[in-house]
Amino acid sequence: MNGEAILPYLIIIPLFGAFAMPIVSLAGKKAREAWAVIISALTLVVASAVFYHVWKTKEIIVYTLGAKTPFGQGVGFPIRIVWEVDLFGAIMVLTVAFVSLMAVLYSLGYMKHDTGLEKYYTLILILELGMLGIAITGDLFNFYVFLEIMSIASYALVAFRNDTWEGIEAGVKYMFVGSIAGSFILLGIALLYGQYGTLTMGYIAVKIAENPTVTAKVALALFIAGLLFKSGASPVHMWLADAHPAAPSSISAMLSGLVIKVGGIYAMARILFSIYSPMAHSIVLKAYLQPYINMSAIGWLIIIFASLTLIIGNAMAVIQTDMKRLLAYSSVGQIGYILLGLGIGLAAYGTQTGEVALAGAIYHTVNHAIMKALLFLVAGVVIHEVGTRNLNELSGLAKTMPKTTFAFLIGAAAIVGLPPLNGFASKWLIYESSAVFNPVLGAIAIIGTAFCTAAYVRVLYTFFGRPSERVANARDPETSMMLPMLLLVLAIVIMGLLPWQISDKVMIPTARMLEQFKFEYINALMSLAGGA
Amino acid sequence: MFGYWDALYFVFIFIIGLILAWLLNEWAKKSGMGTRETGDGTKIFISGEDPDKVVPGFEHLEGHFTGKNVMWGLTYALKRFFRVLRDDHTGLLTDYVSYLLITTGFVLGVILIWG
Repeated sequence: MNGEAILPYLIIIPLFGAFAMPIVSLAGKKAREAWAVIISALTLVVASAVFYHVWKTKEIIVYTLGAKTPFGQGVGFPIRIVWEVDLFGAIMVLTVAFVSLMAVLYSLGYMKHDTGLEKYYTLILILELGMLGIAITGDLFNFYVFLEIMSIASYALVAFRNDTWEGIEAGVKYMFVGSIAGSFILLGIALLYGQYGTLTMGYIAVKIAENPTVTAKVALALFIAGLLFKSGASPVHMWLADAHPAAPSSISAMLSGLVIKVGGIYAMARILFSIYSPMAHSIVLKAYLQPYINMSAIGWLIIIFASLTLIIGNAMAVIQTDMKRLLAYSSVGQIGYILLGLGIGLAAYGTQTGEVALAGAIYHTVNHAIMKALLFLVAGVVIHEVGTRNLNELSGLAKTMPKTTFAFLIGAAAIVGLPPLNGFASKWLIYESSAVFNPVLGAIAIIGTAFCTAAYVRVLYTFFGRPSERVANARDPETSMMLPMLLLVLAIVIMGLLPWQISDKVMIPTARMLEQFKFEYINALMSLAGGA
Repeated sequence: MFGYWDALYFVFIFIIGLILAWLLNEWAKKSGMGTRETGDGTKIFISGEDPDKVVPGFEHLEGHFTGKNVMWGLTYALKRFFRVLRDDHTGLLTDYVSYLLITTGFVLGVILIWG
């Protein structure tokens, strides 16, 4: 199987699916729903093939748009857009495609009373497309375009239900601040382009290593600030607690499960490890006493934000009475763990501690996508059946909605980090590496988990409490809503039963590929030089 | 060694935790003022919550010596921290923008000085 041959279909299929949706919708409701499911399922098939190819061969796929090589004729540097997929990109692609399919399946039942669904399914496919594009691109401006495609689809979907002010207000706020954060990222790209004259990530990495200027540092600051916002890190997380609960639950699952990971965490990791190569700066240039960017300080900077995020996010979750808002703050808290792993991966670069922390961060990114998608889908079912998100009115739900409560129980136990579920393994890697790196960070991580546990135990306590009148007529939902939840539960349990196999065979190799000890990302691109 | 655990450790820790909880409970019964296991004198336990007092947000839950006591204890002990957090989350767009600008300034400063 040729990775380069299948990669474009990852974009072509959802793009075609999204723009054909209004036409297909003319054939009726069933056709529209079938189209959305077929397109998402086909995208998942392609995503699985891409992942399998990269995982099996351990080779980075490099695809040039419109030519065989990104290097122009007569010039020694890349001028064309390239897509470059390493294992981290491939994992994100697979996760995005899987959770998006679950969200589409769930929407069949959840959104059936809504109108304007051709727009809804178009936007959901565009959102998926934007995320897939971010995960595969190796070009900075192309990355920005996909980031904006994803963001604009998110703004529109948050405000999709415009019969209440909540969605509109949250959507407007999200769009306004999100646009400022996006413009910071664009400014960072413009600075790098102005300084180094190229937009290809692998080649910018070479140029920055040759001449790490103040402009490169300013650009890095703008990237980090913008992407901290996009990932929902404290103190720029407040939009998330408005936007994620206001969206329809299927969209909340994608926003909390995927958008903040791909548009925030993944993008940050890609920029930090592939453009500002720590191997070049922290090891090579430092050893030869050449000017370099202190990536260890950048790691500590991220650790500071991570610590703040995991305490504030999880603590705010404890005092929420709105179930979806609780889940949104919990997402902020979990982003804290991922950032902690990422920060330690950078600050302890070149050590086993750093590698394990990075593997933990990548692992938790995948795990949290699945767990949080499940929890938001459960919240959607509860709203659908009971008509409220107020926890004080949901007492005794376990008696009337046993299957839904069971799904929540699994999701909550996994997110708290209870063995033998999937959240345990990834959190364990992060705890272990943070405790080895700096015991204070280990303690902060544990305090965050104490808050996280309190928040979820409270919900469970409510669900298993004395049945209130409000929940008396609630029932478990129809199959189309139950099936995605069941599949996500299965994913959590199966991944939980194979924690170290997944860690050793997938996450550690992914972390190694991202760390670029042999400049793999740069070499994959530069190997195409001279082929024009 | 990184990344490996033995399920037996969890069983041991769970048993130790249970023993500690039991000892704490026994100690609380002896030393707690006005503490009884049943009847009107029931005051405590873990959190010192008054069972007659309705705890906001937990009106639907009944009983004493339940999960809500622990929860009440946690939120009561950290009420100042939670108040600061709650006050900080104003929901105002201008605040969101301010935080973004402050964060950007902080990141820029750190990278220019130490980066």
